[in-house]
Amino acid sequence: MATISLSSVGKVYPGGTRAVSDLNLDIEDGEFMVFVGPSGCGKTTALRMVAGLEDITEGTISIGDRVVNGVDPGKRDLAMVFQNYALYPHMSIFENIAFPLRARHMAKDEIRSRVERAAGLLGLTEYLRRKPRTLSGGQRQRVAMGRAIVREPQAFLMDEPLSNLDAKLRVQMRSEIANLQKELGITTVYVTHDQVEAMTMGRRIAVMRKGVLQQEGPPQNVYAHPANIFVAAFIGSPGMNFFEARVERCEASYQLHLRDQVLSLEPGVVRGRPSLEAFVGRCVGVGVRPENLALVDESSGSLRARVSRVEVLGAEALVYADIAAKAVVADEVIEAADSGEGDTRAPGSTGDEGEVTLIIRTDPSLEIDVGDRIPISVRQDRLHLFDIGTGMAIWT
Amino acid sequence: MNKRYTWRTFGHELVMLVLAAGFCLPLYILISVALKPNDQLFTKPWEFPAQPDWGNFSEAWGERTDPTLTQSLLSSAIITISAVVILIVTGSLCSYVLARRPGRLSNLLYVLFLLGIIVPFQLCIVPLYVGFRTAGITGTYLSMIILWVGVFMPLTVFLYTGFVRQLPRDYEESARVDGAGIFRIFFRVVFPLLRPVTGTVAIMTGLFIWNDFFASLVFLGGTQNATIPVAIYSFVGEYLTKWNLVFAVVIIALAPLVIFFVLAQKQMIRGFAGGIRG
Repeated sequence: MATISLSSVGKVYPGGTRAVSDLNLDIEDGEFMVFVGPSGCGKTTALRMVAGLEDITEGTISIGDRVVNGVDPGKRDLAMVFQNYALYPHMSIFENIAFPLRARHMAKDEIRSRVERAAGLLGLTEYLRRKPRTLSGGQRQRVAMGRAIVREPQAFLMDEPLSNLDAKLRVQMRSEIANLQKELGITTVYVTHDQVEAMTMGRRIAVMRKGVLQQEGPPQNVYAHPANIFVAAFIGSPGMNFFEARVERCEASYQLHLRDQVLSLEPGVVRGRPSLEAFVGRCVGVGVRPENLALVDESSGSLRARVSRVEVLGAEALVYADIAAKAVVADEVIEAADSGEGDTRAPGSTGDEGEVTLIIRTDPSLEIDVGDRIPISVRQDRLHLFDIGTGMAIWT
Repeated sequence: MNKRYTWRTFGHELVMLVLAAGFCLPLYILISVALKPNDQLFTKPWEFPAQPDWGNFSEAWGERTDPTLTQSLLSSAIITISAVVILIVTGSLCSYVLARRPGRLSNLLYVLFLLGIIVPFQLCIVPLYVGFRTAGITGTYLSMIILWVGVFMPLTVFLYTGFVRQLPRDYEESARVDGAGIFRIFFRVVFPLLRPVTGTVAIMTGLFIWNDFFASLVFLGGTQNATIPVAIYSFVGEYLTKWNLVFAVVIIALAPLVIFFVLAQKQMIRGFAGGIRG
């Protein structure tokens, strides 16, 4: 087990394409770190650089106290699980799991006992004589895990290991991998484009976009305090609601002016954000998660919207409601929305002309019909404001 | 005729059956002539003999030729197996490097190999003969092995390179991370994955080398190392040819190939299919 440190790491491919820029990250001993981001964000490249399968152009990568920039992948003492598992089809499951031990010229008895121990841990004992093609997707995934754990490496590197599984199996394997990692306590770097996977598995997540680390931290922290509009849009399903509003001063407080409605900011919101003064008279991006909007009585509603669709999902219902406002059309939001799974709506996308569709997560027993005009309250302590020019969150 | 099995389908099947029968005709003639007694050879050329004369095989086998049929079969086997094994081992290694090492040099070498495919080897027979004679290896197995390895290396490299290029790198990368060296990666991981194309290479080159008459006659004619096609030719006399014995020998010569094809056909088809996808 070891720490992994990336210091100012960059990667430029021979054609001049920059895959990763100035990546700084310290992964603690025994930590489960998830790199998450849309396709082409550089997360897999970053992982492959740690593995030694890609040369790095700038910076240093250290495993433990050792700088491994020029060290051969086989000498870094890491184990990697690939997206398609990379099980050798001509070898039995036993031989597959034993391969890393044989490559290290370990004694036969030791190989046998270690393989049997790993197989026992993963419930693969009865399949050891079989060939990979005779196993199901989940079992193959376990074999790949077995090959990784059998060597007791310094760290695990996992490149989207669940993406080839169906949804149900993915959920099951998600917790199996997380539990196994906890049990073994081996430092793990896990790459995924699925933010649900990242949120549920990682002790810390690192959100990447276009080769740049956007934010890192515990999943709940990233979810609750996104550093910029991309992270806010990327993390969460359904995605965060976005719309533009003009900031106006009103006595000691501020108001957010939509097209035909006004949202008065509560003192608590304003107090924490003195820099809001600089935005008076200008438009900001307003973000609010579906669970932080609520359908309320006529008297207490701060916004009003017209229902365009209702999806009842059993335990909850998603109400799609249009308000007159300008959509946030930043590249970051569009890119995050394009890479989202499940939520087919681009966050902040317009319903009709000049309208924005908000998603409200609510109780499925409420009787709401399409066309109703409904009062909505916004949980202001969970309101997110963004500088539209830079995309950065206004937290101070 | 139901909805699935239409007259059109029946028509297609009929055409295919007639074509298949056409392909089988030479085989029928080969077998029927090989089993005919001498007196029926020209009197009943198309009929299958009522009483097959299995003695033709033993008679042909016992015929006093120089070299003997056993010797010729052995020569054919030595030359074919040696050339095919060398082609597979060196060709696959060479292709692996060409396919996995990016750069101009690799591309240039690959193009040079491709050019080798289009040069008819018959053009090189005279210089080769002179070269072998100078080296003192004319009439030996070694000369034929060198010849065939040279002739088929471009095709072998072409087939292997196409296959390796489609092979996901994950297998090799996984092995690299697991600490395997380059030779372990190639021989334990990559080479077994090349089995389909290895089958293709073995059959395509092995078939040609086994059946070759021209080069064997030029380089080995008149020596004790003559291969089976040259030996069969010795059954064709200037004034008298016992065609039933000739055909019996042809069947004997075919047998090893047929057995090999039956064993390796699955691999060969996969190899071809793999090549087409690339």
